[in-house]
Amino acid sequence: MSESDLPVVLIVEDEPDVAETYNLWLEEAYDVRMAHDGDTAMSKLDEQVDVVLLDRMMPGLSGDEVLERIRDSGFDCRVAMVTAVEPDFDILEMGFDSYLTKPIRSEELRTTVDKLLDRSTYDELLQEYYSLVEKQATLEATKSSAELADSEEYTNLTERIAELQDELSETLGSIEDDDEFVARVYDLDNGHEQ
Amino acid sequence: MYDLSAVVDIDALSEVRPGSSVLVAGPAMTGKDDLVYDILAEGSREGEGAVIVSTGTRAESVVERYRERVGSDEFGLGVVDCVSDSEDTDLEDVITHHVNSPGDLTGIGIGITKALDGLQNREIDRGRLALTSLSTILTYTDQKTVFKFCHVLSSRLEAADYLGLFTIDTGAHEDQTVQVIKQAFDGMIEIRERDGKRQARVQGLTPAPTDWADL
Repeated sequence: MSESDLPVVLIVEDEPDVAETYNLWLEEAYDVRMAHDGDTAMSKLDEQVDVVLLDRMMPGLSGDEVLERIRDSGFDCRVAMVTAVEPDFDILEMGFDSYLTKPIRSEELRTTVDKLLDRSTYDELLQEYYSLVEKQATLEATKSSAELADSEEYTNLTERIAELQDELSETLGSIEDDDEFVARVYDLDNGHEQ
Repeated sequence: MYDLSAVVDIDALSEVRPGSSVLVAGPAMTGKDDLVYDILAEGSREGEGAVIVSTGTRAESVVERYRERVGSDEFGLGVVDCVSDSEDTDLEDVITHHVNSPGDLTGIGIGITKALDGLQNREIDRGRLALTSLSTILTYTDQKTVFKFCHVLSSRLEAADYLGLFTIDTGAHEDQTVQVIKQAFDGMIEIRERDGKRQARVQGLTPAPTDWADL
């Protein structure tokens, strides 16, 4: 459904003016979809969507209910909850990945979306890295070093692992932040990635 | 640079880059915990910070044991206790955080953050973190999650310029598990016992594994 390679952001916001403002801030760098209520949001959600900006207070389906449906849907997207008050670590259990407190500034919105996309990239790379390392360990445990030296599969595997190590260190820059660190550990604990 | 060679007499350990994370691997009863406590204590005597994540010993005992190793009360220490949930009363100078279970990785993450912040507030901006042990965490959580946790934690320590030391009991897991887990680290210190002597060697921090050295 996506017409470009840009990351897809779904804005779920019942106030048209606010939604349009977010759209203006984001449309240059992202492929933006908009929904004015929870039901429309669910119909616009598919595997293309990378990030959902979800207003917590909406008539009809509330943000919390939409969040639950998004998680039940199995689509692996990141959700930034837009709230009126700053939440505490305690409500991490709700299953959103980040939050924004109203009123939101344009720079803050873009930084949050970028951070969430970064985190997805990191998860994907880490996922691939893990599966290759596991494969490598299996080969090393079952083959002799002579067999390994002759194996093209093993050579390719070793090269790809080295590449991934570099890519992983490149995406790591943003983990200096404590919230970011805790959020990433939280992801692992709750099996965010499929 | 972090100098570990006073504890483990191997050249490769005399200049370990800040931000490195090292797996300390060996069978049970080979003194892995003592080794990492000694490495941390060495730093504490130089005014560095220390963070201990303990999956098997409660905070009070960790602090008591650590005090003995350092030989004084003058140290900045944070303890993440995954064993007991009671708040200790006599640990005023130690930053403590209690986690429900060794399987609660988010809790451990929050505890580490709290410890690093607390030490930084005391103007201690480098230090050493020990996690003992990954083997316990592996009994609560699958290998893949533990691997990823180590990777994320290593990167946090890298940003903080800390040195990380993570122990694993090689006898408690298949060889393959250790082979996989070690890839989340910059290097590995292996411990073994030969003819009643404890020996160590280093892998990963040098192009080839070092020779075995007596401890």
